[in-house]
Amino acid sequence: MARMKFYCDAERCIECNACVTACKNEHEIPWGVNRRRVVTIKDGEEGERSLSVACMHCSDAPCATVCPVDCFYTTGDGIVLHDKDICIGCGYCFYACPFGAPQFPEEAAFASRGKMDKCTFCAGGPEEDHSSDETRKYGRNRLAEGKLPLCAEMCSTKALLSGDADVISDIYRKRVINRGASAFNWGVNFNNSKISG
Amino acid sequence: MIANLIDGPLWYFSLAVFSLGVLWQLVSIIFASRKPDLSVARGAAGPAALKTVFSRFLPHREIRPQVGIQYIAGYLFHLGLFALLFFAAPHVVFLEENLLGFGWTTMPHWAFIVSAQAAFFGLIILWLRRMVNPVSRLISTTDDHVAAILTFVVMLTGCLALLEGFEALRLLHRFTVELWLIYFPFSALMHTFTFIPSRAFTGAWFGRRGVDA
Amino acid sequence: MRFKTLLLLLCLLLPQFALADGPPKKPNYPEGVSSISPGSELWGAVRQRDGVLLDGVSQVRGVDAGILINEQGYRWARFRVSELTLYSAWALAGVLVLIFLIYVIRGKVGIEGGLSGNMVRRFSDYERIVHWVLAIVFLFLALSGLILLLGRPLLIPLFGKEVFSLMASASKEGHNLVGPLFLVSLLMMIFSFVRRNIYEKGDLTWLLKGGGFIGKDHVSGGFFNMGEKTWYWMVILIGLVISVSGLILVMPIFGQGRIIMEIAHVIHVIGALALIVVSIGHMYMGSIGTEGTLEGMKTGYVDINWADAHHDRWGRECHEKDLIVSAEEYARLVGKPSVDEADGRETT
Repeated sequence: MARMKFYCDAERCIECNACVTACKNEHEIPWGVNRRRVVTIKDGEEGERSLSVACMHCSDAPCATVCPVDCFYTTGDGIVLHDKDICIGCGYCFYACPFGAPQFPEEAAFASRGKMDKCTFCAGGPEEDHSSDETRKYGRNRLAEGKLPLCAEMCSTKALLSGDADVISDIYRKRVINRGASAFNWGVNFNNSKISG
Repeated sequence: MIANLIDGPLWYFSLAVFSLGVLWQLVSIIFASRKPDLSVARGAAGPAALKTVFSRFLPHREIRPQVGIQYIAGYLFHLGLFALLFFAAPHVVFLEENLLGFGWTTMPHWAFIVSAQAAFFGLIILWLRRMVNPVSRLISTTDDHVAAILTFVVMLTGCLALLEGFEALRLLHRFTVELWLIYFPFSALMHTFTFIPSRAFTGAWFGRRGVDA
Repeated sequence: MRFKTLLLLLCLLLPQFALADGPPKKPNYPEGVSSISPGSELWGAVRQRDGVLLDGVSQVRGVDAGILINEQGYRWARFRVSELTLYSAWALAGVLVLIFLIYVIRGKVGIEGGLSGNMVRRFSDYERIVHWVLAIVFLFLALSGLILLLGRPLLIPLFGKEVFSLMASASKEGHNLVGPLFLVSLLMMIFSFVRRNIYEKGDLTWLLKGGGFIGKDHVSGGFFNMGEKTWYWMVILIGLVISVSGLILVMPIFGQGRIIMEIAHVIHVIGALALIVVSIGHMYMGSIGTEGTLEGMKTGYVDINWADAHHDRWGRECHEKDLIVSAEEYARLVGKPSVDEADGRETT
C-alpha cells in the first residue's frame, strides 16, 4: 500500500498561503483553527525560506503516543487520524507534536479547549465515507474520491507535494538534480541560499 | 430509552411537581389561619415586615464578629449558584430552547467557572460546618444532609459534563436536576422561597407588638 | 522518614530525564567536498541542533505558530507515557503494600494504660473544617488526576475506549474546575496551622528515635511531632508548587509556549504523586494506624492519655492549665447523650 506523506520544497515556496486558504475553505474550518500554516524563517533577510507545515502523518506519531484516551489511529495508507467522539480536548497532542499540528477551537482561562482538529490528509475520519457526520466533523474526504489533498493541488509553485512517499521523493530528487545541472543557474541556488551569508 | 425518559416525560413530571409543589407549600404557609392579635398596635406591621426581609441579609450587629465562616461560605455558595444557574451560557441556552423561548446576555466562560468554584467551595464548607459544629450536627436532620448532598451532586454532574461532548454525562446532569426538582418542595430547600414570608412575619410581629413607652 | 527523603530527591531528579539529552554532534564534512549543501545548514538550524530556538514568522496567529519544529515535544511524550506512568504505578503500589505490611507487622499503635475517657480540646471547629475541606478537594483531585495519568494502560482494557473517554473527560473537567480550590484551601491551612508546625528543640531527637514507632520506647513530642510537621511542610511547599504549575496549565492565555507547559506538567505530576504517596501514609496513621487519633479531627477532642503518650510536652501544658474535660462534660459538649452514672438516667 502507499505511504502518504507531504513534502514542502523550501526553494519553491513563495509564502502565498494558497494552501492555508484552500484547506480552510474546503473543510469549512471555523475561525481560530488552522490546520495548515506557512512559516517563514529569516523573514526579510538573506536566506529567507518559507515552509508550509501541517500534520506530517508521522510513522511513530508522538500525538498518538501521548493521547490519554488513545483516540488516534493510522490508516493503511500511513495517514494519522483521530476520533473526535473520543477526544477529550486535553491538549497533550499539541504539546507533543513537533510541528504544532493539533488545533483547538477554544482558548480561554479554564476553558475546555474543545475537540482537537487537525489536517486529515483530506481523508475524513472514522465515520462512514462521505456521510454528513464525517463532513461536519472532519471536512471533505477527497482520498475516498481518489484525489490528493487540496493544499498540494492548489500550491501555486508546486512547492507542496503530497502523495505516496516514493513518488514524492522521486519528484524532489529530479528537482535537486536539475537545479544543480542548470547551465544558467549553476551555483546560484547553492551559494545564495546559504543560511549565513 | 432512558435518554428519551430523561429528556421527555421525567422532565415534564419534575417541572410539574416542582411548580405545583412550591405553589401549594407557599399557599398553605401564607394563607394559614392565625389567631387575631387583640393587643394595641405599637407600630405598623407592613413597613417593619418589608424592612426585616432585607435587614436579615446581614447578621445582627452584636454577633457580627462571631459569625465568620458560615456567612462567608453562605454568600459564596448562594451568589455563585445564582450566577451559574441563571447566567451561565449552557443554562441560558437550555432555558431558551426548552422552557421560556427567550434568552439573555450570559457571563463569559471564565466567569461561569469562577462562580461554579465559589459555589462548590461554599457548599463544601457549609456542609462541613454542619458536621463539625456540635450544635449544628445535633439539630441537623436527614433532610438537611440530603438537601446539601443532592445540590452538590447536581453541581458536580454539571461540572463533569462541561465539555458538552458526551451524551451520557449531559443526561446524568439532567437526571440529577430532575431528582432535585422533585425533592425540592418537600424539603429544606423550600427556604429559597419561604425565607421571604418567614422574615416578613417575624418583622411584622415585632413591628406591631410592644409597649409604646 | 528516609524513604520520604529519598522519594523527594528522586522526584527532584526526574524532570531532567524528560528534557535532557543535548544536541547531537555536528557531522564532520569529508575532505574534498567543495560546496556544502545549504539545505543541511538550513535544516540543522530549523532542527535546533545547536540548541538555538529558531523563531519564524507565520500569517497564522497563535502560540508557537512561528516554531517549525519543537523537538522537546517528542521527548516529553515518551517520558509521560513510559517512565512517568510506570514509576507512578510502582510508587502507588509500593506504598499500598508498605502500609499493608506495617499494619500486619506493627499493628495499631496503642496507648499504655489505654484510653481514660478524660478529654482535652485539640482542634477548633474552624481548624477541622480547614483540614477536611483540603482533604476532600485533594482526594477528588488525586482521583481525577490518577484516572488521567494511568487510565490508558489500566482502564481502557477494563472499560473500553468509549466509556473510558467519558470518565477521562469528566475527570479532566472536574480536575480543572476544582484545582484552584486546592490553592484556596491550602492558603487557609497555611494560616491556621503554621505556628504549631515550626521545627523546634526536640524534633531532631524524635526523628533519631524513629518517632517511637518501633518498640515501646517513649519519645517526647510537642503539639505536633516532627513527622507531622514534615508532612505539613510537604503539603504546603509541594502543594504550592502543584498549584502554581496547575494554574500555568489551566490558563493557556498568557502565551506560554509548549516547552513551558511541558515542564509545568512534569513538575505538576511528580509533585502530585509525592503528595498522594505520602498522604496514604498520613491517612493510615491518622485513622487505623494509631488509637485515639481520628477523634481529634472528628470531634476536636483527644484523650488525655493519648496526649501524654504521643505529645507529652503539650499534654503537660494541658495538665498545668487544667484544660482536661471529664467524660460526662465531653459528652455534653459534643452533644452525645450520656448515661448519668449515679441514677442511670440518660442526660443530654
